[in-house]
Amino acid sequence: MKIRFWGVRGSIPSPGPDTNRYGGNTSCVAVESAAGALVIIDMGTGLMHLGNALMAGAFGKGKGKATILLSHTHWDHIQGLGFFAPVFVCGNEFTVWGPGGSPEVLEDILEGQMDPNFSPLQTLKNFSATFDVRATQCGVPFDAGGLRVTAREHPHGATTALAFRIEENGRSFVYASDVGQPTESGPTPEAIAFFKNADVLLHDTTYHPEDQATRRNRGFSSYEDAAAAAAAAKVKRLVTFHYDQDYTDDDVDAVIASCRKALDARGGKAIELVPAREGDTLEI
Amino acid sequence: MKVRFWGVRGSIPVPGRATNRYGGNTSCVEVRPKGGDPIIIDAGTGIRRLGKSLMEEAFRDGKGTASILISHTHWDHVQGLPFFSPMYRAGNQVHIFAQQRDTHLEAVFSAQNRAPYFPVPLSAMQADMSFHEVVEGESFRIGRAKVTCTRLNHPWIAIAYRIEVDRAVVVYCADTAPFTDVLLGREFVHQAPSLDQPLPPAVAAELAQMRAGVVALAKDADLLIYDTQFTKAEHLARPHWGHSHPDDAIAIAREANVKRLCLYHHAPLRSDDENDKILATYREVVRAQHDKFDLVSAYEGLEIPLGDE
Repeated sequence: MKIRFWGVRGSIPSPGPDTNRYGGNTSCVAVESAAGALVIIDMGTGLMHLGNALMAGAFGKGKGKATILLSHTHWDHIQGLGFFAPVFVCGNEFTVWGPGGSPEVLEDILEGQMDPNFSPLQTLKNFSATFDVRATQCGVPFDAGGLRVTAREHPHGATTALAFRIEENGRSFVYASDVGQPTESGPTPEAIAFFKNADVLLHDTTYHPEDQATRRNRGFSSYEDAAAAAAAAKVKRLVTFHYDQDYTDDDVDAVIASCRKALDARGGKAIELVPAREGDTLEI
Repeated sequence: MKVRFWGVRGSIPVPGRATNRYGGNTSCVEVRPKGGDPIIIDAGTGIRRLGKSLMEEAFRDGKGTASILISHTHWDHVQGLPFFSPMYRAGNQVHIFAQQRDTHLEAVFSAQNRAPYFPVPLSAMQADMSFHEVVEGESFRIGRAKVTCTRLNHPWIAIAYRIEVDRAVVVYCADTAPFTDVLLGREFVHQAPSLDQPLPPAVAAELAQMRAGVVALAKDADLLIYDTQFTKAEHLARPHWGHSHPDDAIAIAREANVKRLCLYHHAPLRSDDENDKILATYREVVRAQHDKFDLVSAYEGLEIPLGDE
């Protein structure tokens, strides 16, 4: 699997010189399987740039196919959709998996973003590509272009967000963004079991613990939570992700340095720490 | 008054090195009458930093008043509102003005804040919010400022605002297509219309009337802020997208006899270097034509004092 980060920021895009190194686009990660299948996770503003890159290949000719996994439908995870060039090319095929409990509910949520008051597209029906919406059932694996995907629901403030475990040829990548802990006791045994032995665990590291303490109701993790989960689940690599919109590059540097110490303190010295940065790729 | 730009980008925010100088935040302009409360035009992502700056004033203590004029409710003009800090402080007064819609404005704005899209409903934001429906052509007051508006040529309709205060005039014209090729309104236009055929007379007349309204609104303005998302060639390829280009903005500025024209609502993928080039090119055009107005291009942080300061 090859993973590429197109958007790594939380809540709202944060342009400006002080976010140049990590990037200011909201959540979007692309996974390419060894067999060449494309899985896109979340549709933040990074999706526009992924789409523009895809247009150089099969998607530009209307021969592209991809699976889109949605962790949840807060704006920063869907706001790139209207700017994703491949959906305006006839012949491209997208299968979208996400929350909502039923395809109708999820499609209705995505349709809400295209409401004519807010979007000149007016409705999803104006897309040219096929856009097949399905609802995930937690714990029931499904196929995404040859990759095996399992979803798990995590608390996220007053709502929940899905984490995805993606497996191919015995290798595994877990995407766990927007993970809120219900209490200060850290990750639950069920969450740790879901992350267990992953080759790569991408985990929400929105906050420093002191910022999280004043905003616990927002349902985001600190680097401490991520380090605790990674160490307990004995993952090989931990990817930091979904940085707070107010954090400068220097602030994120500090998150990563502290995360390294937190891993070491929890017996995770062997775990490689990889900061998600827009444009970077990671091979498993 | 002072005019300050907090977001100058169209369509979608674009972080990255290529936009460091002009800025990647979507539409937001602050008009600050001398000693008065802020009048904010549009609530794109630029309003987030404006909100933080306002929290250093009376808004921190819940004693601030702000008026927000919305040109239209497309995402790039409203998406910053849930991140506007003064809304989260009890006692602050926030007046939102926007064009009258089929549904009440509060319902339109509530939609952005509701589950499953955003964790904090509008009703849970602590500031006192009031919604004011604006009808195109009407005139109203915000403090000492006189505000006038007129309709623009944009899908689902946008309106332009003229603000007069402190013996100066600023006019905000975004988003709009030129008034020559296609009349944009409620219908979704699937494909670029053919520009070879003459327009039906009734459509041409309506567009001409709309254009006359814009010229009248901008008459003798000290500053005209105008949607120039497109180049001329891009406009010809996408006349139905509802955006204009510098040649059209210059023609309007000339007819309206404005003192300064500001290129605004830059295309998301327009790099800083490309924006520099566009500005240099059109400064030449303006000079060659002996136009009396100055030409500037909006960037985040640009502050323009007008009239009494």
